[in-house]
Amino acid sequence: MATIQTLGLSKTYGKGESTVKALDGVNVTIEQGEFVAIVGRSGSGKTTMLDCMGLLMRPTSGVITLDGIDARTLNDRQRAELRSRHIGFIFQEFNLLPTMTAMENILLPLRYSGGDRKAARTRAEGFLEEVGLAQRARHRPTQMSGGEQQRIAIARSLINEPTLVLGDEPMGEVDTDTANALLGFMRRINAERGVTFVIVTHDLDLAARTDRVIRLRDGHVISDGRPSAQAAPQAAA
Amino acid sequence: MEILRNLWRRKVRTILTVSGIVMGIFALTTMGSLAEHFNVLLGGGITYYGGSIQVTDDRSSGSFGAGAMSLTTLGEIQDVNGVRAAGPNVSLTAKPGSVSAVNFGVPDYIMNYDKTTTDNSPFKISLASGSFPSASSRFEVTLGSTFAAEFKKHVGDTIYLPVRPTDATADFVNHPFKVIGVLGQTLTAPDNGAYVSLHDAQMLLGESLPAALRASVNPYQLITGVVVYGKPGANLDTLATRITAEVSGVKATKPSVMVSSFKSGGAIFTFMTTAAALLALIIGGLSVVNTMIMSVSERTREIGLKKAIGAKTRNILSEFVAESTVMGLLGGIIGFLLGVLMTWLLNSGDPSGGLFLITPRLTLIALIFAIALGAGAGVLPAMRAARMDPVTALRAQ
Repeated sequence: MATIQTLGLSKTYGKGESTVKALDGVNVTIEQGEFVAIVGRSGSGKTTMLDCMGLLMRPTSGVITLDGIDARTLNDRQRAELRSRHIGFIFQEFNLLPTMTAMENILLPLRYSGGDRKAARTRAEGFLEEVGLAQRARHRPTQMSGGEQQRIAIARSLINEPTLVLGDEPMGEVDTDTANALLGFMRRINAERGVTFVIVTHDLDLAARTDRVIRLRDGHVISDGRPSAQAAPQAAA
Repeated sequence: MEILRNLWRRKVRTILTVSGIVMGIFALTTMGSLAEHFNVLLGGGITYYGGSIQVTDDRSSGSFGAGAMSLTTLGEIQDVNGVRAAGPNVSLTAKPGSVSAVNFGVPDYIMNYDKTTTDNSPFKISLASGSFPSASSRFEVTLGSTFAAEFKKHVGDTIYLPVRPTDATADFVNHPFKVIGVLGQTLTAPDNGAYVSLHDAQMLLGESLPAALRASVNPYQLITGVVVYGKPGANLDTLATRITAEVSGVKATKPSVMVSSFKSGGAIFTFMTTAAALLALIIGGLSVVNTMIMSVSERTREIGLKKAIGAKTRNILSEFVAESTVMGLLGGIIGFLLGVLMTWLLNSGDPSGGLFLITPRLTLIALIFAIALGAGAGVLPAMRAARMDPVTALRAQ
């Protein structure tokens, strides 16, 4: 079963003359276990597409299904429920809570999903070990570098064992070496656990190391395929 | 724990907000303790006066400081249909001529101890130590708890009654009385009493009369009033009317009149407490609302993140309301403790035991009010947070 399927997905902002079509009839199917990059210029609609896939935003029209569930049938509470159990999020600016330690940040999603806290703690310790931050569990975000914070954020996105992880410019705030390390970690999770990753990025080098690149322009999919088959990198900003 | 950390992120603001609640709850506690003191005092009066009829000379206006009347009147009252028991009452001030600029309580008084009255009264007094004076006892006294504390007297000590005023006239007379008992605290009128035998009370009453009158009256035929108890089922107001009509020269006050007079007194103190509560509500409530609105604005991205990772509207709502509730609780505890400290300091400087009474009820009211204030004031900002669109919140700068 496809993890995500969109049919005629459209999103319009504003009214009247100031109307902006961020997405215009997007049809995409992403299978379980794929590692997908969405690329495009600023304003091409990639973040809007990610928000719709993450059930953070309702499209103006069209259908989006997650694991076979038609998102149109879900109310806000059900969407929140689905997000907490099946979707992990990684953001460009990490969005770690400054009052919490690294471990507490990783475990935050448990508060809303109600999962087994003890098992989650063991998983969190495993993640911290994997990303080389076992000694930083009790540190606050302000005591960590950008790369370390993003590793914590990735661990947080995985703590509920989601089937899908959505990343909005997850390597946008870190240097190249750190970006490579983070990508390596995500790819390993993708390969070992079959978690689907969809990341929005400007970095075409990074996109080239994914399984599939979806290129957007003005709300339309202009190409969709393996990175090697993609057109020249001028499409990205 | 996270709640405290969030509050501590903006230390100064949190301290100022909690201070607002502290001020309000402090005012509520001090005013409330004053009201509690008087409510207990008035409650005792309602119990005592609501279950008996006070009969005085028809030219006097009340119980304390009533004019003298003849002891023979007691027999006439006892004969009125519907009277179950009637006891003589002889009361006079314990501190004649004392100047009290402001007296919020019952002044110290001397009264005869009458077993009939005590046994029939719905208001029960008990001994903390010693015994009551008997009908035949002479120069023996049982002191109310406040009276005993004020003069630091215990069973076996001697106290001169009435208490000599600093500006006593040349003909002032008082006598040494042996303290044979101390009453348990009632928090109402008996605490300020000195109970002697009827004979001694009449003697002291006679000596308190103007010099010109002393020689012409027999003090042992004088009483200042009669306390009447009705037969079971008797309407005491009707009985009071009957006594006034059938016994010449006396006025029986209807219990309902006494009770409503006490209740109207209590209403003043209830108003004081309510005013303090309103003050707390306005000062504390507005500061909590302001702080929480600012907190929500500053933490918009945090709200967006939480919603993205699965927080439902009620999760966000409860998290913010919990924070404002904790502020209310903190302010409540500190304000209440400061109030307790203040009332303790004021009471300890008052020889009569003080005007402030911290009760379990007041403790509960103050703390519940503080918590409700925090929670209530936090609801609006929390709803604003809970209703945020996750995408908009996540993109907030």
